[in-house]
Amino acid sequence: MIYEQTQHEMLPRATHDEQARQNFVQSLKLHLATAVSPGNKVVYEKRARPRFEREHKRTPQDRHDVRRVMKDEPYYQTWSALLRTSQEMMWDSVATSVERQLPELITRAKANGKTSGSLTLNPSMPIPAYHTAVDIHCQPGAYHTETGADDVAAGAIYDRAVHIYAMGRMGPMNDDLGASLAAHVKQQYPNFRPSKVLDMGCSVGHSTIPYVDTYPNAEVYAIEIGAPMLRYAHARAEALGKRVHFSQQNAEHTNFTDGSFDLIVSHILLHETSSAAIRNIIRECHRLLKPGGMMLHVEVPQYHGMDPYASFILDWDTYNNNEPFWGTLHDMDLVELATGGGFAQETVIQTAIPSAFKMARSRTGLFQGGDFGGGGEWFVFGAVK
Amino acid sequence: MAKKAKGKKPTFFVDPQVDKLMAIVMALAGEVSVLRERLDTVERLVENKGLLTRHEIEAYRPTEQAAEEREQWRSQYIARVLRVVHEELEAVERGETTPESYEAAVRVVSS
Repeated sequence: MIYEQTQHEMLPRATHDEQARQNFVQSLKLHLATAVSPGNKVVYEKRARPRFEREHKRTPQDRHDVRRVMKDEPYYQTWSALLRTSQEMMWDSVATSVERQLPELITRAKANGKTSGSLTLNPSMPIPAYHTAVDIHCQPGAYHTETGADDVAAGAIYDRAVHIYAMGRMGPMNDDLGASLAAHVKQQYPNFRPSKVLDMGCSVGHSTIPYVDTYPNAEVYAIEIGAPMLRYAHARAEALGKRVHFSQQNAEHTNFTDGSFDLIVSHILLHETSSAAIRNIIRECHRLLKPGGMMLHVEVPQYHGMDPYASFILDWDTYNNNEPFWGTLHDMDLVELATGGGFAQETVIQTAIPSAFKMARSRTGLFQGGDFGGGGEWFVFGAVK
Repeated sequence: MAKKAKGKKPTFFVDPQVDKLMAIVMALAGEVSVLRERLDTVERLVENKGLLTRHEIEAYRPTEQAAEEREQWRSQYIARVLRVVHEELEAVERGETTPESYEAAVRVVSS
């Protein structure tokens, strides 16, 4: 089953060969996720765990024990090398296509850029070290690198690549994270009608749009550190006829006044920050929320309570996909994090929500291990002010 | 535009040259897939229209049915290329992972 991405006005066009190259990467990823990755568990149970138990006279306690023994398994080595290669091929297959048509994309973004929403850039905003240390999830240039004036390349690449990365499981508009959380909020809190919503770390605004649709009377704001992402996000939202106010800001310290928002959300933002930054972000959420307002952050699940193998496979990205904060975040005590930011302990939310994209195919029931969205649900961390 | 993501690239095999070879092989596999897809387009166009222009190839977009068939083909193709990986798992499941297990067979047929 092929899940096509909606060819909206800002999405880069692919030539025949570019499309075929991207199709190959998507099929390769799906094959690795469904037909190769699960074999790692077999190798672990049949070979690696017994070997660990022979050598250490105990059973593996945590993901570090599992990693220590799995790294020498040839099957795991091959799968890892293939998964890393598929990630590099994915960015390359999209970046070369975007590079070819970049002048047209810039022109289209400018033509689109002046209607209902807004875009405010701040070229003097420093890009935080956790985004410059390595290029997150191996996107060359990451979110922030600009290749020229009015650049939208990083955004155009991201929009297309996310669809390939998720193997279409984020839906034709890549909006599953936002759509799932917005649907959850509406269902769980039917009387909650936010008048101002903030999406932190919005990248191309693909997760932001569902809040415009779910709460049509709300003013929706979205912040992001990367200018090329924001230019693209703004043009994309305008092309879709959705009113969003985008600005270039670091979620640790924004320029919004105290008590500005009823609802603050983020979608797989937290794992791309740092131990210091995440505390600042939670504190900033507390400052920005009105009394009774709610922050909700979508992530993959915490490692606590997970069996050592499951947390090991979920942790692959920490070491092998330029996600250096991934593991540290998923070990953190989120109650302590929330209360440290000013939220009351009894208001802390930690729950799983179902994916809104019901069509998603051949899920393995795993979180990650190259199978983004394979769990069919998302983890939500939040609190109420 | 930078081609490489900033950050030390991990290697997984004892000899990092094998990692490089893997990336090269997969790039070739990808290009074979690209060629196959182009040929598929040509064949479909020839079949449908009986004549061929460059523009027709470029403009061709698969129907839902064609896209589904291509996905099926790619899936089988990838399984074929990764045959050795799948067989490795079978070997693990059958315990055929040490030279001794083969040598035992040599002994069985030689004695």
